[in-house]
Amino acid sequence: MQSGAEKLTILRELDLTIPDGQFVAIVGPSGSGKSTLLGLVAGLDAPTAGEIRVGGDEITRMGEDALATLRGRKIGFVFQSFHLIPSMTALENVLAPMEIAGFRDASARARRLLADVELTERAHHYPSQLSGGEQQRVAIARAFANDPKILLADEPTGNLDSRSGQHVFDLMTGMNRRRGATLVLVTHDHELAGRADRRISLRDGQVVADENLRDAGSTGSDEVALSDDRAATELEAAQS
Amino acid sequence: MKFIFNLARRELRSSWRRLLFFFVCVGVGVGSIVALRSMIQNLNRAVAGEARALMTADAQAETTHEWTGDALAKIDSVARPPLVEARTETIEAPTMLRPADPSREGASMVEVKGIEKGFPLYGDFRLDDGRPFDFTLVEGGGAVVAPQLLERLSLRVGDRVKIGEREFEIRAVTREEPGSGGGFRLGPRVFVAKSDLESAGLTGFGSRARRKILFKIADGRIDELVRDLRAQLGNNVFNVRSYKDSEENLGEQFTRAENYLSLTGLVILVLGGIGVSSVTRVFVEQKKKTIAVLKCVGATGRMLTVAYLAQTLALGAAGSALGVVLAKAALVFVRARFAESLPPNLSYGLQTNAVAQGLVLGLLISLLFSALPLLRIRQIRPNMLLRDSGTDAPRRRLDVLRWTVALVVLAGLVFLTSWQAGSVRVGVFFLAGLGATALVLYAAAWALIFVVRRARGLGTFAVRQAINSLHRPGNQTRVIILAVGLGAFLVMSVQSLQSNLIDEFDVARRGNLPNMYLIDVQKDQVEGVRELVGQATGARADLIPTVRARIVRVNGKEIDLDAAGVRAERGRLGREYVVTYRPNLEYNEKIVAGKFWDATPASEPEISIEEDLRGAAGIDLGSTITFDIQGRKLSARVTSVRQVDWRNSRTGFLILFRPGALENAPQTFVGAIDGPTSEPERTRFQRAIVDRFPNVSVIDVADIVRSVSRILSNITLAVTFIGGFVLLSGVLILVGSIAMTKFQRVYEAAVLKTLGARRRVLLTMMLAEYGLLGLVAGVVGALASNAVAYAIARYVFEIDWTFAPAVNVAGVAATVLLVGAVGVLSSLDVLTRKPLAILRAQ
Repeated sequence: MQSGAEKLTILRELDLTIPDGQFVAIVGPSGSGKSTLLGLVAGLDAPTAGEIRVGGDEITRMGEDALATLRGRKIGFVFQSFHLIPSMTALENVLAPMEIAGFRDASARARRLLADVELTERAHHYPSQLSGGEQQRVAIARAFANDPKILLADEPTGNLDSRSGQHVFDLMTGMNRRRGATLVLVTHDHELAGRADRRISLRDGQVVADENLRDAGSTGSDEVALSDDRAATELEAAQS
Repeated sequence: MKFIFNLARRELRSSWRRLLFFFVCVGVGVGSIVALRSMIQNLNRAVAGEARALMTADAQAETTHEWTGDALAKIDSVARPPLVEARTETIEAPTMLRPADPSREGASMVEVKGIEKGFPLYGDFRLDDGRPFDFTLVEGGGAVVAPQLLERLSLRVGDRVKIGEREFEIRAVTREEPGSGGGFRLGPRVFVAKSDLESAGLTGFGSRARRKILFKIADGRIDELVRDLRAQLGNNVFNVRSYKDSEENLGEQFTRAENYLSLTGLVILVLGGIGVSSVTRVFVEQKKKTIAVLKCVGATGRMLTVAYLAQTLALGAAGSALGVVLAKAALVFVRARFAESLPPNLSYGLQTNAVAQGLVLGLLISLLFSALPLLRIRQIRPNMLLRDSGTDAPRRRLDVLRWTVALVVLAGLVFLTSWQAGSVRVGVFFLAGLGATALVLYAAAWALIFVVRRARGLGTFAVRQAINSLHRPGNQTRVIILAVGLGAFLVMSVQSLQSNLIDEFDVARRGNLPNMYLIDVQKDQVEGVRELVGQATGARADLIPTVRARIVRVNGKEIDLDAAGVRAERGRLGREYVVTYRPNLEYNEKIVAGKFWDATPASEPEISIEEDLRGAAGIDLGSTITFDIQGRKLSARVTSVRQVDWRNSRTGFLILFRPGALENAPQTFVGAIDGPTSEPERTRFQRAIVDRFPNVSVIDVADIVRSVSRILSNITLAVTFIGGFVLLSGVLILVGSIAMTKFQRVYEAAVLKTLGARRRVLLTMMLAEYGLLGLVAGVVGALASNAVAYAIARYVFEIDWTFAPAVNVAGVAATVLLVGAVGVLSSLDVLTRKPLAILRAQ
């Protein structure tokens, strides 16, 4: 229940550019602003000040519907708690983004994607009939449905045991490498973060470290840039 | 587009069960509209289509006087072959009939009809024994009678009966008579030959007899004859009309009845709509996450709104289709159950236009009532997926789209009700009335929530939990109270109105009113009748002289009934008045204008009028009115205006003469008496009167009360039936609301079970919650029903109003029981499901 709203500063002065094809891990303790940063990139939230460019498009002034279309075309998203649609089967969940974008031949592609995440047999099962790891694999297949240039993952292994977590992580990074998309991964897991090209550490809404772990990727047209010259990104948060 | 279709299909697949009840509601509403409209259209076709058979002629001329030679000559001059192909005359009148054998008891009021050879020109008799009707059955002292007469006087075919001074032999019994339109009658129908009736020695009989000349007219020339006859006969003593006039008239009445009745169906449908609106709101609330996910993968708010709208429409269409099936089932039921008392040529099929209207209404109601709640989809933002308690987009201060849609919905409802009522005015009033009732019920629900919030700490744990449930987020308290309350309100209104009407007619309880009337007493019979009444009751009979008079001029100006301003007054001015004369005012009369005369006879004719007559064709205090009293003209001045308390009157007269003017005019006497109390004595008394004075008719009010009660209970049954349908949709909404929020209850119950709550506690919780809901709905419904029944009794029927405690107590108790039982029964699995599985699933 909403008992009141107050201004809360989640992210401060931040200037980031993520080049095309780079695998970036964002780490930091709880409340450091990792998920918010990811949400901003996906246009799920809007910053109080500053600008965000995705592949050259300024998204902060886009309307809800334009953002939805942009996400459908360019961005795949994997959530910590899967967020599959309970009323749809695994196959239908994967189909949904393609149908929204009006793709032809969506069904065959969805089946291929399910095969990629090793769930061919479970295509007609509902989320409630799948284990956590399986649900997350469906979510990954769904994230890749429209062949996004950017994949955003918010602690994708956070709700899974280490074995399924590892499996999901391998599937996701493997599929991403084959497609050459930009991957932004928010994680608590330092081992997983260590496998990225670049690691950005956040604390209290600020970047405290930005390390290049290996030399890969080049600046291209689909880079993601966040800049905030005016001190802070404030979000109105509802407290419950 | 494909996505929208697929999403709608998939969502429908998973949630149709939860939404089912609301669309069954739409189905019940559509079903009642389609059934009522089809039924009445069928009746209209069967009855109005038979207008010619009802009149038994193409056209008729009618009078309550003797046909004068002059009038007959005029009719003959116009109604000639080849224009008129056939012609026959009838006389109808209420009179007394008794067995000819003086040793047999009993006498009965009958509606006798004297016919000539050639009757009927259209339609036919159906006799009990299957024989075809032939005029020889009545010729020369025969009678063909309705079966009720045989029953009433224990008679058989072949028995002899007396009407007036003449004996008749019962030769056949009718199963169906030509021209029978049902309706109210003072007694069973008896057919005799017209010449026999005229020679029955019924003095004064002429005054109440209706004489008709029936015509069969050459094809296509009906209007011509009617026009010519009207032009010839001119004055208002004769009434000329064709079956087409009746057809038109009946058609109009049927259309009005159809429209009003279908408004009842619309109440049910709107109730279903309110259910749809409420369920859509809860549904969107429950689908928030799905919507956020879809927005996350690229779906726009518009796409999603359209997809869910498509889902609602699909369910609305299914509900409407179900409604059509229900309507068909209802008509099949009517045929099985009531075919006996309905016209034999009645069709029981559905009418295409009724079906089309029902389908359109079902779809529109589903669309209109789900539009606003579905707009909330726009405000759901995908960032809720990142944080558990996602925030909706802040509401803009003026949401233009929302207001636009709200206005469109309102306009749509006005259109629907006006369309169904057949009038914008009625439609708007209907909607406003419905809105006001809904507002009262909503306010009651709000008050309940307000009160229980403050009563949180009261009662046992179970009661506290029940109270919590009433105002939990997403609660259905308002909708349930609205739906159930409206149903309870309708049923109780009808019941308490009926109980008041029956009280009103129950003369036994109303000591000051007479329970028998003696009519057609001739001047020279007054003393004899007084004597008989005195012997039977010990009281002196009050016999009042009556004279029949018709208004022909007001202040010297001829009344032209066809003149524009007078047309509307036709009923008041064109009729024949029964007037009397006396020197005094009765206890139930008072003067409101002018001065009442004193006991001395007047030098010039003076009258006192009832205030209702004031204003008709300019009649007022001081006006001079010219009357036609059986051909003689008499002018009198209005010197006073009286108010008569009709409800408390033994007899009442609109026009009263000062003694001195009418004593020598042709007159008969009317007696209002308190007859013997026991049934056999009443029968004996009636027989004694008729034996000695065969022309005198006795109207037993007790008989009339019985007939009225019968008609009344049929009407009550019909309206209660419709009210029951409203209550049924209320129950459906109740069941649906419970199904909608059941997941929450199941989870709560599981948690409570793990915390140690036993089933009895859970059961008590549910009983308390639904009992309270039923109580509020019942009490509010009862209060509103008393207000409405009071208003109708007082201002429409103009009868006394008494509070009917039994109806109210029974109504509230029944509502509590119904809601409690339905509530608990539809949540039984909340009690029975094992908690572990539920908690794991969360």
